[in-house]
Amino acid sequence: MSLSHYLVVSAALFLIGLFGALTRRNTIGILMSIELIFNAANLNLVAFNRYLHFDALHGNVITLFVMGIAAAEAVVGLALLMAIYRNLNTIYAEDFNLLKG
Amino acid sequence: MEQIVFYSLSAVTLIAALGVVTMRNVLHSALMLGVALMGVAGLFAALGADFLFAGQIVIYVTGVAVLVLFVVMLAGRESDLHARQTNEKWPLAVAICAVIFFGFWRCIAPYAGTPTRTQPEPSTRAIGKLLLSDYALPFELISLILIAAMIGAILFSRGGSAAEDAP
Amino acid sequence: MLEHVYWIPLIPLFTSVVILFGGKEGKDSKMPYLGIAAMAWCFLQSSVIFFQTLTGRIPLLEGKEYFLYERIPWLSWGPNLKVHLGVLIDGPAATLLFVVTLVSLLVQIYSLGYMYDDKRKKRYYAFLSFFTAAMLGLVVSSSLLILFAAWELVGVSSYLLIGFWFEKPGPAYAAKKAFITTKLGDCGFYFGLLLLFSYTGTFDLVMLKSHVAQGLLPLEAATAIGIGFLIGAIGKSAQMPLFIWLPDAMEGPTPVSALIHAATMVVAGIYLVARVYFIYTSAPLALGAVAWVGLFTAFLAATMAVTAYDIKKVLAYSTISQLGYMMLGLGVYGYTSALFHLTTHAFFKALLFLGAGSVIHSVHTNDMREMGGLIKRMPATATTMGIATLTIAGMPLLSGWWSKEAVLHAAYSHNWGMWLLGVLTAGLTSFYMCRLFFLTFIGEPRDPHKHQHAHESPATMTGPLWVLAMLSLFAGGLLHYNGLFEHLVHFEVVGHGEHAGGSHAPAFLLPGAAIFVFLLGLGFAYRLYAGSLKTAQGLRDRFEWAADTLERRYYFDDFFLWLVSLSDKLAAACFWIDSRVVDAIFVDGWALVVRAVAAASDFFDDYFVDGAVDGMGTLTQDAGWGLRKLVRGQVQEYLLYVSLAVAVFATFLISR
Repeated sequence: MSLSHYLVVSAALFLIGLFGALTRRNTIGILMSIELIFNAANLNLVAFNRYLHFDALHGNVITLFVMGIAAAEAVVGLALLMAIYRNLNTIYAEDFNLLKG
Repeated sequence: MEQIVFYSLSAVTLIAALGVVTMRNVLHSALMLGVALMGVAGLFAALGADFLFAGQIVIYVTGVAVLVLFVVMLAGRESDLHARQTNEKWPLAVAICAVIFFGFWRCIAPYAGTPTRTQPEPSTRAIGKLLLSDYALPFELISLILIAAMIGAILFSRGGSAAEDAP
Repeated sequence: MLEHVYWIPLIPLFTSVVILFGGKEGKDSKMPYLGIAAMAWCFLQSSVIFFQTLTGRIPLLEGKEYFLYERIPWLSWGPNLKVHLGVLIDGPAATLLFVVTLVSLLVQIYSLGYMYDDKRKKRYYAFLSFFTAAMLGLVVSSSLLILFAAWELVGVSSYLLIGFWFEKPGPAYAAKKAFITTKLGDCGFYFGLLLLFSYTGTFDLVMLKSHVAQGLLPLEAATAIGIGFLIGAIGKSAQMPLFIWLPDAMEGPTPVSALIHAATMVVAGIYLVARVYFIYTSAPLALGAVAWVGLFTAFLAATMAVTAYDIKKVLAYSTISQLGYMMLGLGVYGYTSALFHLTTHAFFKALLFLGAGSVIHSVHTNDMREMGGLIKRMPATATTMGIATLTIAGMPLLSGWWSKEAVLHAAYSHNWGMWLLGVLTAGLTSFYMCRLFFLTFIGEPRDPHKHQHAHESPATMTGPLWVLAMLSLFAGGLLHYNGLFEHLVHFEVVGHGEHAGGSHAPAFLLPGAAIFVFLLGLGFAYRLYAGSLKTAQGLRDRFEWAADTLERRYYFDDFFLWLVSLSDKLAAACFWIDSRVVDAIFVDGWALVVRAVAAASDFFDDYFVDGAVDGMGTLTQDAGWGLRKLVRGQVQEYLLYVSLAVAVFATFLISR
């Protein structure tokens, strides 16, 4: 298998995530889509490390950090979501219009 | 053999991902997310990143996905099952994705036919050494961020009563 | 003593400040004693210096003509432009120190009696001390700049003292007149100073003298500077034609007249000429001007004194006349004689003024026609005044005779015509002084009421009179004895020996002529004024025009008033031109132009600048309202915009 195979899979995963983030009405869905985007990036990192810098492990380490960040992001995001849900009684993104001009 | 593994894993991953963004029921979406993340974990394994494979399973599949499931069940409502789950701008989103994919394709094309040269070997020990030598500072920072996220999550999820209890 | 000579001006200065700001004002203020004590100390120091220099106990500095010359730097504007503070004590300075402190001390003691019930006694004594300090500073300074400053301070204090009774219009007017008239002369002095500095770059007298001796001062410049200084001296020393302030200045308290207008301030001009005598000897034209100014002043003032009836006015004219003698002496190379006359004149003129003050204090009038026969009421005053009269009139062997003889001798050696006019003036002096004495003390009392109330003055007033009387009697002879004074005060004129070019007179001529005119004046005065005044009145009626001319002071006052009114008219014309022509064209016209420009500018500002500013504001506001519609607060829309942009740019970059 060549590098481009993995890259194509990664790109597809990214675009699916982007599509989800743009179209899901449910905020939980948006968060899930963002997790997909993170995974696409991780996949990219690992693939490049494997194919272009096979004698080092920096890509893997950075992937670990990204995972940590993603976990933190998910935890905080979901906590915020719960807080919003308690206050506004909705989880649909189009109802969050406090920033309306 | 390698190709069968790759294509099957890719197919599982992408189909599950599509399920995540298209399922009407959020609970199903969350389950699909778990499947997609496991698929990515499989791809990591295929790439020889054994430690990351384990990490992906532990952090994502048993951490994040389960957390999402909890939230879905906490914030979900009966009416959600009958409401439309995508907004009206999806054709535009599709167009944007298509254009970006075109761009990606142009970037990916040069790497076609770049094979790997070595066999993968166990990387856990090496990663551990790196984390405690070259990456010691980012490692500590990540731990700080995680603690901050934990505190923040507790603060937010305690809700209104927390503000009242606060001195 | 000599090295601390700078104390002499500084002590009275400090004392005047203390008196002015300390203590309590009033009739029984104790402050006058402080002033007297300070002046007594100064007098003590000065007299020690004077006698030590006179007797040669303090020698002249080696090869120099002065006893003490010290200086410290004060101002510096560059390597060659420096002004020094310093003292320079030579013969004239030592003499002047003695004279000024003596007269000031006696006047202050005398004032205890004269100003007994004045309610501003403290202020009076502060001014007296201040005046003396200024005069002493003028005497000791080695720098012409400091001398000029002290000169002006003397002018200020004379203004304060003449106008001491400022509630009355007369003194207030006289003070102004004295101040302004002397300022007119000061312009000349100032001009001379500037010119001198521009040529030599120094104000220091010793350095100036060496500059002049090396011939660094061109003849024309020396002449101009000399004339300038002479104009200053004319103003201060009341010479023709600026003498008009001195008779009016008699409005001040009489002791002040004695101090300022007889013995000290008016000799400042003479002293100035003496200090810069080296400039005059290098400019014969300026020296000639000094001589002629002095001569005519002496003669004209003497004639004016003949008709005056105000006892103090007579003395004022006599002062002017004697100052003219001093100027004459300086002008005819009689440096020693002029300063000798200055010294003796200080004694007897102070005595005359103080005596006159005693009389006025007693009879409360200045008019001699209301006096007469006072010798019985005031024997001490009459005796001392008699001594002073004889001294100034030129009685042989008294002080005035010696000094006046010296001046006339110098004049004769220079030009016998000058001598003739000088002798004539001496005769007039004898006449009007004896006239004053006879009118005041001899004859029948013309105002019995005033005569009845007349009384002898207290001891604080007669004491100084006796001291001065003794000095008038003997000082001249003592100083002349053995050439003491000539040894102390002399000036070697290069190329003009003591007797060079002078004509020798028969030994008996000069003293003989002097004695003759003295007796003549005395006789005439006795004939006209000792008894009844009928003959004098008849003469006056017959020559009324002459008497008028003399009483109007040869119309000098009218001339100056005419000058003032002329300048008034000139100013009025200038004002008319300024207000009607200059203002109309330049000011108002310019204002119109400016207003038109301003209106145009205002229009432009309103419609273009403000329009642009407002338009920009409105545009921004409208744009804001329009753009606001685009923002709907939808997070997903923002993300959409971002992705759209990324997509478009990605396409653009990659398909490039």
